[in-house]
Amino acid sequence: MRRIKTDVAIIGGGAAGCYAALCLHKQGVAPLIICKGLVGKSGASLFAGNLVISGKLLGNTDEQARNTAEFLIKYHNQFLIDQRWARRCGEWIESVYYPELEEAGLYFRRDDSGNVVTSPGKIRSVAANMQGNSGVPFMDLRRKQIIRAGIPRLEETVVTALLRDAGGAVCGAFCLDVLSGEYLVVEAKAVIMATGYSDRLHKRSTGTREMSADGIAMAWRAGAALVNMEMQWWHTNDIAHPPSWQRMQVYPNPMLGSEKSARMVNSAGEEFFNQQQDDPLAFGPYTVQLKALAKQVHAGKARYDGGYFAGFDNCDAEEVDRYTTYGKIYRQLGLEFPKTLVETAVTSHYRQGGIDVDTATMRSTVPGLYVAGGAGGHSNGLIALATFDGKVVADGIVADFAGLISKPPGEIEIEIERRRLDGLRATSGTGPAPVIVKETLRDIMWDKVGVEKDKGGLDAALEELSHIRSHLLPDMRLSNGGLRANYEWLDAIDVVNMVDVCELIVQSSLERKESRGPFFRTDFPDTDNREWLVANVLSKSGNGIKFQRRPYELPYLEPGFERKANMEVAW
Amino acid sequence: MAVTATILSPASRQGQIERADTLVQRNALLTPGDTITVRIKRSAGAGAEGREQEFAVPYQKWMRVLDALNWIAENDATDLAYRWFCGSKMCGTCAVRMNGREVLACWEAVEPQMTIEPLRNLPVVRDLVVDRSPYENKVASLEPWLRRPGDYAGFPEPLSHKQMKNASKALDCISCMCCYSACPVIRLGGLTDFAGPAPLVQLGQTALDPRNDPQRIAASLERTGIFNCVSCYKCEEVCPAGIPIVSQIIEPLKAKAAALVPAMAHHAFAVRAIVAARGRVDPGALVLRVQGWRALLRLRRIVRLLVRGKISPLRTVLAIKTAAAAPARRILGRGPS
Repeated sequence: MRRIKTDVAIIGGGAAGCYAALCLHKQGVAPLIICKGLVGKSGASLFAGNLVISGKLLGNTDEQARNTAEFLIKYHNQFLIDQRWARRCGEWIESVYYPELEEAGLYFRRDDSGNVVTSPGKIRSVAANMQGNSGVPFMDLRRKQIIRAGIPRLEETVVTALLRDAGGAVCGAFCLDVLSGEYLVVEAKAVIMATGYSDRLHKRSTGTREMSADGIAMAWRAGAALVNMEMQWWHTNDIAHPPSWQRMQVYPNPMLGSEKSARMVNSAGEEFFNQQQDDPLAFGPYTVQLKALAKQVHAGKARYDGGYFAGFDNCDAEEVDRYTTYGKIYRQLGLEFPKTLVETAVTSHYRQGGIDVDTATMRSTVPGLYVAGGAGGHSNGLIALATFDGKVVADGIVADFAGLISKPPGEIEIEIERRRLDGLRATSGTGPAPVIVKETLRDIMWDKVGVEKDKGGLDAALEELSHIRSHLLPDMRLSNGGLRANYEWLDAIDVVNMVDVCELIVQSSLERKESRGPFFRTDFPDTDNREWLVANVLSKSGNGIKFQRRPYELPYLEPGFERKANMEVAW
Repeated sequence: MAVTATILSPASRQGQIERADTLVQRNALLTPGDTITVRIKRSAGAGAEGREQEFAVPYQKWMRVLDALNWIAENDATDLAYRWFCGSKMCGTCAVRMNGREVLACWEAVEPQMTIEPLRNLPVVRDLVVDRSPYENKVASLEPWLRRPGDYAGFPEPLSHKQMKNASKALDCISCMCCYSACPVIRLGGLTDFAGPAPLVQLGQTALDPRNDPQRIAASLERTGIFNCVSCYKCEEVCPAGIPIVSQIIEPLKAKAAALVPAMAHHAFAVRAIVAARGRVDPGALVLRVQGWRALLRLRRIVRLLVRGKISPLRTVLAIKTAAAAPARRILGRGPS
């Protein structure tokens, strides 16, 4: 078995992982990126449509700067965020993020006279080359920065377990090279979990193929506390057909260089959401949209899986095409653009929750294990925030570095993991293939842990998950025992993580007895700031789960009410 | 045909016009309930013998090639190896050949009868999964990064979209390697040092960016073998991102190479000078200019070319002009030689 030693192992090659690697490298600490997909080509960072302007950049007024902060705290995180961290993040975006990206070569879209093109409104944004496609050149640039710096990458390599030393500190990772089928052991002084927040746990999920909540599952097994795992975000207007386009979004955000934007129409042909009119802060109206849709669903004029429509029939083709890629969906389907609307549906998107971290250093509750980006439970969304985490975690590790001593992982742990994976590959049960178990699980999550939840459904979900664990997992059947590019084997590895994390999500959803933002409990329809403006922290306790509530400090913004029906709350 | 007219609106992608006008028809070929026949070329990897396996797949609304592969992997062949990550034309990892042309599986509509094979010009790992590393290594060897000759001016630096017109097109590249698979010059293997269309588009992202240092661009261009491109437009034809690869990337890069590293363009300059002087290509003169008088030592070749009427020594020696010489000179000028 090949062994690789490095200072820091970074699991994940998205915005957070890449920037952590670049920052560590710059400070003389050797990183190694282990990526289940391809660095810069997998994970949620790729989907960044545009980039929000923070602070007073590009002529932002004081009010626009304040709006951005308010948006982040209220609409993006429903107050479940460390506001001081948010402020540090905003300042960094203004002073470091944009110059760093442009200096490295990112093309912030200009017009022919050389002005950076922005969207109008209370919160403005810019695009890397084209709106709707900003994540592509952004992440391609990161990929090239990593290559240029000579930072080593293990790509299409899945980490299957965190390894710990005799004292319980995380000191490495057990990996499988998916293309060759070889095992590798990476030994490191510290491990950064940067696996993102867009896991494919629901029938409709925005996450890329490889995202199966591995980071959360492995951190949990290593003893890390998690937080707010129930806080799931949804895309409200992703393409309904075909299934492979479930993450392709009719972006609702303000358009660059135009006063107009996409609108949504119910099955009766009535408009029920127009971003420029119906969104108080007019930026990323995800929760606002979801609430508008829920009202249509209750009125029988839409379903969460389709039966409503979105598009740009209120715009001219030229004004959409000038700076955005939004027309591509319609044209590729042979639909008349922009006249035709397309059927859309809800898709599970980001998870606000994740691994509990100290936002000053990005340490988890387990020694040696750090977090960056969406895998953390401290915030939600925005490629800029994930990038900021990359900087903070690098600084955190550099500060801790003298105290991080390289201790070898336990040989017994390595042997146990090798046998577990061998066993999964040789699985010759009589049950379904791993991919079928995955789909069964995603159906359960969609049906019972979807947009609207209640205790009955969540309890039933727990029962079905437990059935998967006891009956399906031990009886999976692989049709091919080969080593090369054996995605069936990978599915078998993934689905174990998925079951574990789904269970934690359901448990956390049962624990939070209120509705908040995109978290709808029909049996607890009110947003309850007196009891639940808290972090819903879960940690291992014996064989069970222990929940604790940790209040958030509110130094800058407060919700201004104690209790109110969630549907009546703007955010 | 109002629909077609909309599709071909000014902002539509030039490179896709040929195929764009059939989009409506292609999306309407099938209706839910139809069965499509999918034949997949499978193999255990490099050097292993391939086999073709056939599947019957129920058509779903607006089904893409990737949906068909997913259906097969969930129902008939759970061990089918194929690569994809995003399913939305961003990651560029799901390209395959469908009925003899390169397509992005997540983007292309299914057809009633489909034969699906892995991309060409790259080693096969298993089934439809190819080894991307030959392409990745070429891209890295061109060092396609931005290096300013001076200091960075701070955000936002002076730059206009006019200056970025071609580079901006190159930034649409998702590294799917469709063009790399379709390129007939890459197909020749080691016979040329041509980097290939996709690596050139990747280089174009920064080499056609006015912020970049010309000296660095020159050094990168020297490693591209760019004048081996035969401008056959195969790359443009298959590009799912609709990038005008020849007209807006390779041609501007060739012009840069000619200006920055004239020796690379020796052959192109010779053709230009001969056409400007004589109004036609004179193969004999071209060979003499490019290879020098040593070309005369290759007697067997000369005889072969003479027999086939490819060269005419008399015409070459007397520098006979055609009637097109005057207009050609007017258009091309004498040009650098």
